[in-house]
Amino acid sequence: MPDWQKLVSQRLSGLALDAAEKEEVHAELAAHLEDFYESLRTKGLSEQAAIQQTQAQVANWPDLRRKILIAKKGRDFMKKRLHQLWIPGFLTFILSTVFLMTLQKLGFRPRIVGDGPNAILFCAPWLASLLFVGALGAYLSSRAGGSRGAALFASVFPVLALTTAFLLMFPIDLIVERAIGRQVDFSLVATAILREGIGWILVPGAALLAGGLLAQFLLSQRLTSRSVTGN
Amino acid sequence: MIGPGIKRGTAELAVLSVLEDGPLHGYELARRIEQQTKGTLRFTLAALYPMLYRMEQRRWIHGSWETGSNGRRRRCYRLTAEGKKKLSPIRQEWAELFHALRRLTKVPHA
Repeated sequence: MPDWQKLVSQRLSGLALDAAEKEEVHAELAAHLEDFYESLRTKGLSEQAAIQQTQAQVANWPDLRRKILIAKKGRDFMKKRLHQLWIPGFLTFILSTVFLMTLQKLGFRPRIVGDGPNAILFCAPWLASLLFVGALGAYLSSRAGGSRGAALFASVFPVLALTTAFLLMFPIDLIVERAIGRQVDFSLVATAILREGIGWILVPGAALLAGGLLAQFLLSQRLTSRSVTGN
Repeated sequence: MIGPGIKRGTAELAVLSVLEDGPLHGYELARRIEQQTKGTLRFTLAALYPMLYRMEQRRWIHGSWETGSNGRRRRCYRLTAEGKKKLSPIRQEWAELFHALRRLTKVPHA
């Protein structure tokens, strides 16, 4: 008999519920599939046919995941997540990108630290702006009722997006280089990953995070002073 | 075509009515509905559980884990007091709707 628990756990792995609740949902749905499968086998269906019919109980797993989440948390949960996470996150991403492009158009030259292939580029005005951008992301997320984690996620969202792009870019580049018959020097690739990682992810990420933490600190101070004055 | 609102209403009425006879786990509930409606109403897993969870959030039903005689653990749903209270007006609404449709379409009573 197929491992229905494993199948459900895999298909619904991204269900945004707390661990215990998620486990319960997985166990309950797996039990349903198990009962359904066994009833088909009792009716005399072959193993293969029974598996196929049981699997047809769920035509679209991502849709089921979304429906379960809405049923358990309510429609407002999805709307809240949009306002607390995705809108502030994308706004920080857009602002940081637009600001960098504007600086480049205005002729700001990045500062070069190091020599030759190990040189890392830093654009100081951009990094300074990221403090503000990170703070803005955290502020918007907190204002929409976002948790501390959601606010920090919104702050550092641009570097998370960049990290994903980096992770995709390097393997693709390696495949392309091989396809066109060029020798790939892995030490050069590793150096490039490290160099670009520091210049475009680590340092900007730290600036965004610092901005986010600063905004959270200021917001918590304001809340404390409000609660003290009773306003 | 039957709209999602009517479909949902029918499904909720079916679940509440079947649970009125006693607690059942999800699979058994779906099987009972299919049997009692002679296959007219059928629930796949994907249709059943989001509805059960939604009804549980509204406190119409309550689910708890129970171990059956075969040693298997299943989550059984039972009707709550709130669910029992809800059942009567829903039945009334559906009776009115069917009555109105029968008059309109002149379909003879089954």
